[in-house]
Amino acid sequence: MSGQAKIPWVIKYRPKKINDVVNQEEAKAKILDWLKKWPNVAKKALLLYGPPGCGKTSLVEAIASELGYELLEMNASDFRRKEDIERIAMRASTIQSLFASSKKKLILLDEVDGVANKEDVGGLEAIEHLVKITKVPVIMTANNPWDQKLRILRDIAEFVQFKKLEKRDLMKLLQHICIAENIQCNEDALEYIIARAEGDARAAINDLQAVGEGFSEVTLERAKALLRPRDKERDPFETLKLLFSSRYAWQARNVLSQSQLDYEQLKLWLEENIPYQYTNLEDICRAYEALSKADVYLGRIVKSGDWDLLAYAMDLMSAGIALAAVNNPRDKDKWTKYSFPQRISMMAKLKEVRGIREDLSTILARHLHISTSTAKSDVIPVLKVIFTSNTEYAAKLALSLGLSEKMIEILAGPNKHAVLNHYKKLKELLEKRAAEALAERVVRQETKKEESEMKKSKEKKEAKDLLSFAKK
Amino acid sequence: MSTAISELLWAEKYRPKSLKEMVNQEEIVKRLMKFVEEKNMPHMLFAGPPGTGKTTAALALAHDLYGEDWRRYVLELNASDERGIAVIRSKVKEFARSKLPGEVPFKIVILDEADNMTADAQQALRRIMEMFVETTRFILIANYASKIIDPIQSRCAAFRFTQLKREDVVARLKWICEQEKVLCQLDGLEAIYEIGGGDLRKAINILQAAASLGEVTVSNVYKVVGLAHPKEVREILNLAFAGRFIEARDRLRELMVTYGLSGIDVLKQMHREIFSADLKIPEDMRVIIADHIGEIQFRLVEGADDEIQLTALLARLSILGKKIQDKA
Repeated sequence: MSGQAKIPWVIKYRPKKINDVVNQEEAKAKILDWLKKWPNVAKKALLLYGPPGCGKTSLVEAIASELGYELLEMNASDFRRKEDIERIAMRASTIQSLFASSKKKLILLDEVDGVANKEDVGGLEAIEHLVKITKVPVIMTANNPWDQKLRILRDIAEFVQFKKLEKRDLMKLLQHICIAENIQCNEDALEYIIARAEGDARAAINDLQAVGEGFSEVTLERAKALLRPRDKERDPFETLKLLFSSRYAWQARNVLSQSQLDYEQLKLWLEENIPYQYTNLEDICRAYEALSKADVYLGRIVKSGDWDLLAYAMDLMSAGIALAAVNNPRDKDKWTKYSFPQRISMMAKLKEVRGIREDLSTILARHLHISTSTAKSDVIPVLKVIFTSNTEYAAKLALSLGLSEKMIEILAGPNKHAVLNHYKKLKELLEKRAAEALAERVVRQETKKEESEMKKSKEKKEAKDLLSFAKK
Repeated sequence: MSTAISELLWAEKYRPKSLKEMVNQEEIVKRLMKFVEEKNMPHMLFAGPPGTGKTTAALALAHDLYGEDWRRYVLELNASDERGIAVIRSKVKEFARSKLPGEVPFKIVILDEADNMTADAQQALRRIMEMFVETTRFILIANYASKIIDPIQSRCAAFRFTQLKREDVVARLKWICEQEKVLCQLDGLEAIYEIGGGDLRKAINILQAAASLGEVTVSNVYKVVGLAHPKEVREILNLAFAGRFIEARDRLRELMVTYGLSGIDVLKQMHREIFSADLKIPEDMRVIIADHIGEIQFRLVEGADDEIQLTALLARLSILGKKIQDKA
C-alpha cells in the first residue's frame, strides 16, 4: 500500500454508475426523462439542489458516462466571470455543430450558489444568457436554492430536489468501504460517524478515512477522540423548525448562528411561515410584533450604517418569535409544512410592474405638469376607469400619450386585448393617412414639376419661334 | 364623443394657454399681466390648494412673456421627483448658462411642489436663487407657504391662490362638456364638485372618465369614483376583523402587486376607511386603530419593510376584530 499514491476515499469510492447513487430515485427519474426529451422541454436547464454530499454531482457524472455524454464542467474553483461562462457556451454549441458525429455534450455548472459574489461579475447574467442560447442540456447544482441571489434561476431552470441520505444508506456505504479497505469496523463507531455527518456522504467518508486509514480497526473511542464536533449549516426548513420549537432564548439564538439563511432571508421566511406554525391570533400578533421591531432595527442599520444594531434585530427574530407562543405553546412542536416565501417569487413580477408604472407616471407627470406621485394617486386610477370601460376611447388616449403596450396592459387589465386592437387599427389608420398626405404632396410636386417643364418647353418653343421669326 | 383618431387628456387640453384665458384668480392674473407688459418680474411664490391654477398661471405667464416659443426659456422641475438639491443645482446651472436671444432679459425656472423640499434643501435652493438671479427668475409653487423657509419667502413676491368656488368649477366643467359635445346633467357636475372639492384638475379628470362611460350623470360619476378607489382595502380590513388573517395577508400582497401601491399608500387608504361612517365598528376602536396605523407608518418612515409592517398591522387588527365581536 505504502508505494501507491494515496487517493482520497471520497474520490476512490465515488458512485460510478447511476445505480450507485442511492436514495434519489425521484430525482433520477426526473433528470433522465428531461434529458431524453431535450430540447423539447419547458426549461432548457435543470437546477439540482440538496444538502452537500447527497450525490448531485456524482449522479450527473454517472449519467454522462453511462449515456455517453461528454461533460463540460465548471465548478466553484473555476472563474465565473461572464467571459468564462460564455466561452464554455461557445465551445459546447460550436463543436456540436462542426462534428455532427461526435459525442453528445452536457454542460455542468457545479455549485452555482457560489457564483453570486463580487469576483464573478455578471456571472449569473451570463448563466441566464447561456441557458437562453444553449444547444446542449445545462445542469446546475446548488446547496441553497433559496438564496435570493439565485432568484433569476427560478425562471429559467427546472428545480430538482435531492434528499439527504438516510442513515442506513450511509451505513451500507461505510461498511462497503471498510470491507474494501480491509478494516475491522465496529458498528457503534460507524453510527457515531454517521450521526455527525447528518446525511452528508462526503463528510462520512472523509471521517472514516481520518479514523480508519492505516489502522486495521475503527473503534468508537478513536472516532470520538479524533473527530471534533462539526458545525453544520441548517437549511431554511430545519432552521424554522428548530427556531419555533426553542424554549429558551439562548436556544433560539443558537439556531440562527447555524443557519444557511442570512438575516434578510430569515426575515422573509419568518414573515411567510409564522401563521402556519402558530394558530392562536394573539401568539401570531406577538410574533409579528417581534418581527416588525426587528425589521425596524434593520431599517435603522441601513440608515445609520451602525451594524451593532444587528444583534438586537437577531434577538427579536429568534427569541422574540420563539417565545411568542404564550397562549398555545403546543403549536411550537406542531408539524408544519413550511412554505417558500411568496415574496421572493412575486418580487420579480412586482419589479417589472413597478418599473412600467414608474415609466407611465413619468409620461403623465410630464404631460400634465404634475409630480409622478400625483400621477399615481390622481390620474392613473381615473385612466384605469376609462381603459376598462371604454376601450375605443382608451385607445385614442393611449395613442396621443404615446403609451406602450405594457402600459396599456396595466391600465386596461382584462380589457387589454380590446384596447390593443383598437390601438393597432387607429395606428394603421393614422399611418395610412400620413401616407396619403405624403402621396398627395408628391403628386402635387410632380404636377408642379410637369407644369414647370411644360412652361419651360413652351418658352423654348416660343424662343425657337421667335428665333425662326427673327431669322425670317 | 368626437370621432378623432387620438384624444388628449382634458386636464391638459383645456388648460388655459395664456393669462387672458384664465377665468379664476382675477387679481393675481391682473398683476401677472403687468409683469408681462413690463417684461420684468421678481422671484415669485405661488401658494394655494391643489387644482387652483398655480402651475397654469406660471406656464401662461411664460407663454405671454416669450410667445409660442416659450418652452426654450423655461425649465420645469418638480421637487418631489428631482432627487436631491445637487440635481436641481446642476440642471439650473446648465439651463442658466446659455444666453438669451430675445428681448426678455431673463429665463424662468418653475419649481413645483417646492414645499416637499427639506429645510436643508431649501437653504441650498436659496443660494442657487442668488447665484443665478441676473439671468434667471424662479417661480416656486407650493400648497403651503408656511412650509417654505423665511429667507426664501422674503426673496419672493408671494401670491396666494384661493380655493375655487362651486359655481366656478361647475361652470368650467359645463363649458368643457360643450366643447367636447358630451351630454351632461347639472347634478352630475355638482357631484363631481362634491368629490373633488375645489381641485379643478381632479374634477376634470373625473369628468373625462365619467364622460367615457357615455354621459355625465350622478350615477356615472359615483361609478368612476367607486372604480378608481377600489374596495380592496375595505375588504382586507374586514377579513382581518373577522380573524381571517392569512386571507387578509394574501389579499394585501395582491393589492400591492396589482396596484403597485406602496406601504404608505395602503396605510393612508386604511386610515380613510377606518373613519368612514359605513364601516361598522365601535367609535373608540377607530381611535385605537388610527394609533396603530400611525405607529406602523412611523416604522416605515424609519426605513422598515412595507410588507412586514403591514402584515404585523393586520395581525393586530385581527385581535382587535375579536374584541369587537366579543363586545357585540
